[in-house]
Amino acid sequence: MSLKRITKELNDLGRDPPSSCSAGPVGDDLFHWQASIMGPADSPYAGGVFFLSIHFPTDYPFKPPKVQFTTKIYHPNINSNGNICLDILKDQWSPALTISKVLLSICSLLTDANPDDPLVPEIAHIYKTNPELYQKNAKEWTKKYAI
Amino acid sequence: MTETITILIKSSTGKKLEVSIATDATVEELKTKISEQSEDDLPVSSQRLIYSGRVLKDNETIEFYKIKDGHTVHLVKSVNKSAAAAPTPAASTTDTSNATPSTAAANAVPSNIATGTGSFNPLADLTGARYAGYAQLPSASMFGPDSGMTMPDPEEMERMLSNPMVQQSMNEMLSNPQMVDFLINQSPGMRALGPQARELLQSEQFRTANPFAAMFPGGLPQNPFALYGNPQANTGAAGANLGGANDAGLMQALMASLGGNGGNAPAQEDNRPPEERYESQLRQLNDMGFNDFERNVAALRRAGGSVQGAIENLLNGI
Repeated sequence: MSLKRITKELNDLGRDPPSSCSAGPVGDDLFHWQASIMGPADSPYAGGVFFLSIHFPTDYPFKPPKVQFTTKIYHPNINSNGNICLDILKDQWSPALTISKVLLSICSLLTDANPDDPLVPEIAHIYKTNPELYQKNAKEWTKKYAI
Repeated sequence: MTETITILIKSSTGKKLEVSIATDATVEELKTKISEQSEDDLPVSSQRLIYSGRVLKDNETIEFYKIKDGHTVHLVKSVNKSAAAAPTPAASTTDTSNATPSTAAANAVPSNIATGTGSFNPLADLTGARYAGYAQLPSASMFGPDSGMTMPDPEEMERMLSNPMVQQSMNEMLSNPQMVDFLINQSPGMRALGPQARELLQSEQFRTANPFAAMFPGGLPQNPFALYGNPQANTGAAGANLGGANDAGLMQALMASLGGNGGNAPAQEDNRPPEERYESQLRQLNDMGFNDFERNVAALRRAGGSVQGAIENLLNGI
């Protein structure tokens, strides 16, 4: 069941991927994927390419996939281990969601962070109190790690 | 077996391009074609092609990446950077540079809220918010099926207690005369014991016997300060379990002298900053090629200071 669903998602992604994301299996194991997100143009991450790893649980799509950044990124909702604080990856997961939609959600998270539910309180604080410094730091990290 | 396929190139600016290419052509050839067909200035060296979540390497073939007819490949233009100078994105996953910005950010947060509490009170800063992050939580296996705390299995107990870090911090604490004075003054029983108490606490036997073993028979060795909330009950439990401790006689003498709330006093948490506290372990991890300071510290903390445990954590990608 999960294999069939993952294969279908893979085919859809190959044919018509979202404009800023791409994903596919790492090797022959269809339950382990890598993905890339291109930094949105209207964000300090513009120009960067961020890589993620995706692990599907065996009971996918009834359980959410595990998605982690493997590229370092300066963001209030993404910590230094690449963990992402995103509701649809946790309690708001629905089997109707796909990897494509998850990646698009992460893209919009990059454009609009959610500092009220931060994973990295220090960055969230800077994001709220000193937006210029946040922009500067995020750009620096993007340049350092993602370009 | 070569066939020609049509690949859709989507650039980050939203422009689309259709390129026909043989499946045994290299990525470099594909890039050359893109640069010829594109109206924009797109030198081969500035192109980054992404398919199926990975960056295509110049010397691999289209076939290698299993790009199929009609599929889309993303194009990102690298800005103001020659191909030679651009680090490969994959390198960033290993993260060799000690993540200076994040460490700097972490350091900006006051690291010791309780500093300046006046007189020497080693337990004072335990009440600080900082303690919350430093507590080593018991591993999941210590929680029973009803998610309540159970006694850790003997093996795990053994592992925690034989941890050189625990013994080391215990030793350091007890060799500090100021600390010993503090402990003695804290407890009326110890005061009554007079100089004997000092001898007892500083005796080699007491230290090497790993007093922690006797301190936490209640199954809370990783969070000794839970005892602090309910000293009476826990001291009772500690006394009852003393028979199993390494040097029961000595410990019993100590326990008896401690009376009411003394039992938990030597359970001093190590409050030094991680780089100092785990100095030797961090060096070992660095030697082994684990260079991410924050991850190393987190892994060491989770493993209670054991290098082996930390490596397991790191390798499991926690």
